Amino acid sequence: MKVYLGEFEELVLLTVASLGEDAYGVAIQEAIEMYSGREVSIGALHSTITRLEEKGLLKSWTGGATQERGGRRKRYYDLTREGKIALNNTKTLRDELWSISKVKLSF
Amino acid sequence: MEHLHPPKLAAKLFDWYSGHANVEDLRGDLEENFYRNAKKTNIRYARKTYWKQVLSLITSYALWKRKRKANHSETSLFNQLTMLQNYFKIAFRNLVKQKYFAVINIIGLAIGMSVSLLFIAVISYLTNYESFHENKDQIYRITSTLTEGTNTQQYAIAPAALAVKLKEESATVEKVVRINSSFDAVITHAHKEIPLRGYYTDPDFFALFTFPLLEGNLETLLDKPNQIVLTASAAKKLFAEETIVGKVITIEGIGECVVSGVLADVPKNTHLDFEVLCSYSTLPSAQARSQQDAWTNFYPEYVYFLTKPETDMSALLTQLSGIEKEMYKASDDVRASFQIQALEDITMGPELRAGLGVQWDSLSLVIFGTLCLLILLPACFNYSNISIARALKRSKEIGLRKALGSLKQQIFVQFITETIVITLISLLLACFIFILIRAEFQSMLVAANKLDLSLTPKMLIGFLIFALLAGLVAGMVPALYFSKLNPIQALKSSGSTKTASVSSMRKGLTVLQFVLSFSFIIGLVVFSKQYRYTLNFDFGFQQANLLDVPLQDVSSQNFDAHFSSLASVNNISYSSDILGINAIETYVIAYGQQDSLQVFQMFVNEHYLENLGLTLLAGENFKKEENSLERSIIVNEEFLTKHNIATPADALGKVYTVDSVDLQIIGVVKNFHFMNLREPIYSFFFRYNPSQFQYANLSIASADIASTLVRMEEVWHKLSPDTPFEAIFFEKEIADAYDSYKILLKIVGFLGVLAISISCLGLLGMVVYTTEGKTKEVGIRKVMGASAASITYLLSKEYVKLMSLAVILATPITWLFFDKLLSQLQYYSVSISIWDVAISIVILITLGLSSIATQTLRTAATNPAETLKYE
Repeated sequence: MKVYLGEFEELVLLTVASLGEDAYGVAIQEAIEMYSGREVSIGALHSTITRLEEKGLLKSWTGGATQERGGRRKRYYDLTREGKIALNNTKTLRDELWSISKVKLSF
Repeated sequence: MEHLHPPKLAAKLFDWYSGHANVEDLRGDLEENFYRNAKKTNIRYARKTYWKQVLSLITSYALWKRKRKANHSETSLFNQLTMLQNYFKIAFRNLVKQKYFAVINIIGLAIGMSVSLLFIAVISYLTNYESFHENKDQIYRITSTLTEGTNTQQYAIAPAALAVKLKEESATVEKVVRINSSFDAVITHAHKEIPLRGYYTDPDFFALFTFPLLEGNLETLLDKPNQIVLTASAAKKLFAEETIVGKVITIEGIGECVVSGVLADVPKNTHLDFEVLCSYSTLPSAQARSQQDAWTNFYPEYVYFLTKPETDMSALLTQLSGIEKEMYKASDDVRASFQIQALEDITMGPELRAGLGVQWDSLSLVIFGTLCLLILLPACFNYSNISIARALKRSKEIGLRKALGSLKQQIFVQFITETIVITLISLLLACFIFILIRAEFQSMLVAANKLDLSLTPKMLIGFLIFALLAGLVAGMVPALYFSKLNPIQALKSSGSTKTASVSSMRKGLTVLQFVLSFSFIIGLVVFSKQYRYTLNFDFGFQQANLLDVPLQDVSSQNFDAHFSSLASVNNISYSSDILGINAIETYVIAYGQQDSLQVFQMFVNEHYLENLGLTLLAGENFKKEENSLERSIIVNEEFLTKHNIATPADALGKVYTVDSVDLQIIGVVKNFHFMNLREPIYSFFFRYNPSQFQYANLSIASADIASTLVRMEEVWHKLSPDTPFEAIFFEKEIADAYDSYKILLKIVGFLGVLAISISCLGLLGMVVYTTEGKTKEVGIRKVMGASAASITYLLSKEYVKLMSLAVILATPITWLFFDKLLSQLQYYSVSISIWDVAISIVILITLGLSSIATQTLRTAATNPAETLKYE
């Protein structure tokens, strides 16, 4: 099954990958905001994460409570194998399109 | 860093909205963001962001999905079913383990519910009324508000002339039908004489209402004068043969009529009630009425009409008010305004005067419903009471459940389930009681023949829903109480964790029940007193050994000639009415004056005063003056008071004009009760006019009543071979007029017995519980030398206190209520004495004490060694 990724979905997946073992809600949100420079609403972020989980691209587990969270546990996310494949597919597609572009894309 | 916490309201909102969903990480994220924002900028901004994020999450797909998962996961549903199963299991185990309480609760609830079942059965049947008419949604009737002088009242009648007008002028009205309910005549066919009742009506009657025609042609029914339609059972009474249409019968007062159709019998569930329909054009006075009379004096005319489906009524209402303006002037003595009432609103609608057929007005149903609640609620209270009283026994279980993770809701559901199990068992018993009392209940209703209380699926569904509701009401308080129980306290404490509020609430409920029971006891005491008082009331005339015979078509001279020769008859008098039950009113004008005064009158002959033992204070009796003109009256004392005449002697010779005849007072009689006791004595006179006589009053001497009656019947048949001989004892007639008291006594008595047994059961339950908890205390007291009597006193003391409180609360209210009610019911009424209250108190305390006696005495008599040896 070929999975298509939306732009924001791709962004979330790559951010999760970039955070490694520390990918949980607030961290993902901050990283996206930092790298992309756009404000992300927490609702939209979690909705996308939920969809990615449904598609089987992300997996999650709980753990690691801290004082500043009122003793509540975090939910950590990581890419599944399908998630990695989906990212690779997207990248391949883009690279192909870049390489065959007849317009000069780079400045 | 003080006050540094997320906005509480937002957090609460988020938690509430999330429900069971697993949102721990989201909450954590929110909080983490909040503290970071607070550190980075300021608290205000952090709070604002927190709110924003909460709203963002609440509206997000993420939370929706998590909630869905929490609610619909297969394991959760499975768990719920298993828990429900467990609740049922625990409920049944508890029932079996606590047999005593279970039986008390079940009996109490069953008794409480039984009356309500009657109510539900009645309502369930009444909602079926008129449901069989095919056009039921398009049928309406016109009702009127009649103003006569200053008196305005709602009537179900409307002028037939209005029907004619609407038919010609209104576009809304498709078909209109006039009904005149005055048909009440003896119908003769082939030497059979059957009295039948029914309506005069138009052919369109069959276009409006759906009454299946068994025989005849629907097109031509009732379209000509002297045509009638019979119901199947009326036809069966008259005819032996099969084909009836076309047969000619004779109707008293109308003449020969042709039977043009036979209808199936009128079903019970309609307010229309007839055996015969006669064409409206047959009505003798249909054409002969003056315009004015037709619009002001229209009893018993009814107007029904049919509209197109879903018609707007506003045009018709405007038209009706136009007609009102046209027909009545503001200065008229009698004015009417008209309203529209849908067919389905007639039954259980507002009470209207002169209603057609049987009335089921909303007010009496509300009263009935309230009475049912008064019986049901105490039974529910009992259940709540006893359940909470047993809280101690259950608190360990609840504590354990909670410690293992039961939610408040789950405990609540558990206790509601338990209550519903009990109410469903009670429902079975209540249905049994319902079937037992159903016939008796129906016999007390005037409209019993229009009510069918046999069990229907609809009714049973109603019962079931009712039982569930009753269970919810009864179980609510204990379920809430248990669900709020603190698990630590419940597990830790071995004994009384009961809070003051619960125990005082329980006491309050007990007192309330006793207030209710006490009211019923007082009611019973005073109503029976009033009934006895009424029966033994000195009406001022003699009732014994008088036989009233309706003269029917026999003249008084003829009757006299034949009956006075009978050996057993002492004396015969004649009258126009029966004394002591009702009298006709008229107006009298003093000679030479203008103002008329109301007066009641009765026509009698010269033997009447003597026969009824009335005392003449002055003047003389009527003389036998058969052929001469009426010219004298005999008045009562009240008449003198009304007309300012000082002494009876002064009244003699005074002349009054009555019905444009001048009459002279020739005698004055002592006051007596010519009307029923609901009314005071008004001014009254006797007149002498043999043409008005309706009854013969025979003074009987014979001891053998049966043979006398047989003898009289023989004589009667010589006089009038066609009419049956009717005779009734005057005494019985008077007593029958007060039959309503008997019914009232029965109802109050029955409800009283229910209310009292429910509160006694409740009391018993409470006592069982308290004495169980006190066995050790009693044991120690006995060891220390307390007597059985002092222990019984100790155990009953609290309940006597509660009952006394109930009596103190209830006495003033019930006293006022019944004092008012008694005088409302009857002008000559008893008043409540201190003795009635005292008797009621004794009955209440005796019943209460005897219901707890078994328990207190048993506990007091137990051997202390038995109760103490387990220590």
